Amino acid sequence: MKPEIPIGQLLRWRLAEAEADAPAAPRAARLIALARPWWEFWPEQFQSMVERLGRIQVAYAHAMAEPGPSRVGHPVLALLIRTTQELETSVRVLYLNIREGRLRFRFQVDAPFVQEQNSLDVTFVCNESQRPVLSTNASLSVDNEYRIDAELPEEIARVWTPLKVTDPMPFRLILRTEMHRG
Amino acid sequence: MGERTRHVPQANGIVSARWMSYLPAMPGKRMAEVGPRSAWLKVWRAGVPLALDSDEAPKTRRLTDDDFSENAALANPEGWEQPLDVDAWTDERLISAVRRDPPDEAALDALVDRYWKPLFARCRMLTLNCQKAGDLAQEAWCRVLRARHSLKPDGNFPAYLMTVATNIWRDFNRSARRAGPLANDRLTSLDAALPGDEADTIVLADLVPDLNALQSRERALLKLDIDRALEQLTPLLRDVLVARFLTGESCAEIGERYGRTEQTVSGWVREALRQMKLQLEESSHDAVQTMKA
Repeated sequence: MKPEIPIGQLLRWRLAEAEADAPAAPRAARLIALARPWWEFWPEQFQSMVERLGRIQVAYAHAMAEPGPSRVGHPVLALLIRTTQELETSVRVLYLNIREGRLRFRFQVDAPFVQEQNSLDVTFVCNESQRPVLSTNASLSVDNEYRIDAELPEEIARVWTPLKVTDPMPFRLILRTEMHRG
Repeated sequence: MGERTRHVPQANGIVSARWMSYLPAMPGKRMAEVGPRSAWLKVWRAGVPLALDSDEAPKTRRLTDDDFSENAALANPEGWEQPLDVDAWTDERLISAVRRDPPDEAALDALVDRYWKPLFARCRMLTLNCQKAGDLAQEAWCRVLRARHSLKPDGNFPAYLMTVATNIWRDFNRSARRAGPLANDRLTSLDAALPGDEADTIVLADLVPDLNALQSRERALLKLDIDRALEQLTPLLRDVLVARFLTGESCAEIGERYGRTEQTVSGWVREALRQMKLQLEESSHDAVQTMKA
């Protein structure tokens, strides 16, 4: 007998087997702990970073007032955090698009050694409220560009959707390297 | 009912009017006026669901605890556990409890337990690795928790959860793909129509008369073969296959997500099926040869 089995049926069978082989579910307490953003674990450290971000405004005021080359937007102030080092810098926004609640964002960091990092943890801090609005991963791509493709909280997506790459950005960034994330 | 869902101590005490605030039909009426045990039960049974629906799971448990500890006459009435048994709650009620700050742990445990296995299985089909599947499923839960305030209690929660996990996996692959060989030229070549639909069935030699009648060794081998066949596919084709056959999305729906036409996606599906078939038939043939030897 040579039965013909639809591949869809095979896949559903494999899925059922995987379900039967599933390990125990993690406990709620563990998930809640894992889901806590880093700034809740280290609120004082976060606060000091936000204050420092606020202070670098002066140093970059000139750059902020004058947009860069035509296809690049205003620089966005950033604090780059390495193991024990904090570096004041800025990033150049190369692409920004918000569609269906997803943020697609490309940028370059104005710090030479940052390109050693294959990924950065990027925290968007609202200029106005000084509160963190998003923490996500940016991966290094070609031409030393970092790319973000992440889901945005509904409220933020609504406010940021009209933004264009040439607009002044309503946020600053805290960039954490893998070493700092530990 | 598990230990963690047993929230109400089996104690007795004095009746209170705590539930009255949840009962708009009896405004301002004091519990003393409602009467003894039977009346309390009536109020309690009506009040608990309303309190739970008001996102007040912890308060509901506390009030029930207080009633039981203060009133000897209540003495664990029949069915008293049921409204507080989180395992019996609807998704809507569990999600309401999870949306709180802090999220209700018992409700979250119940929600995670309810959907962990299907979520893990879906992640396993995508990652083809148990450890990675567990990590992906856990990360999906973390994302859901971080965005819990925007959860819609009346939405399709399991579908949302699967979508979150699949999106994380897609994001990961998207990053990897940028540096990898899966470029647009390969996608373009898939736009070409492929002949016939005969590729969606597979002849499993003499090995598999019935999927449900497999012995454990055959079962393990077939699982390995399917995993190997899926592994041969690019993440894109695997994603499309899972979306088409396990999620039940149409080619048009998949195409919308990828910004491609329905025809293109249809071509991807056929190509994925063709590759799967080829790989599975090879594995099946090898297995027969091995058994004959």
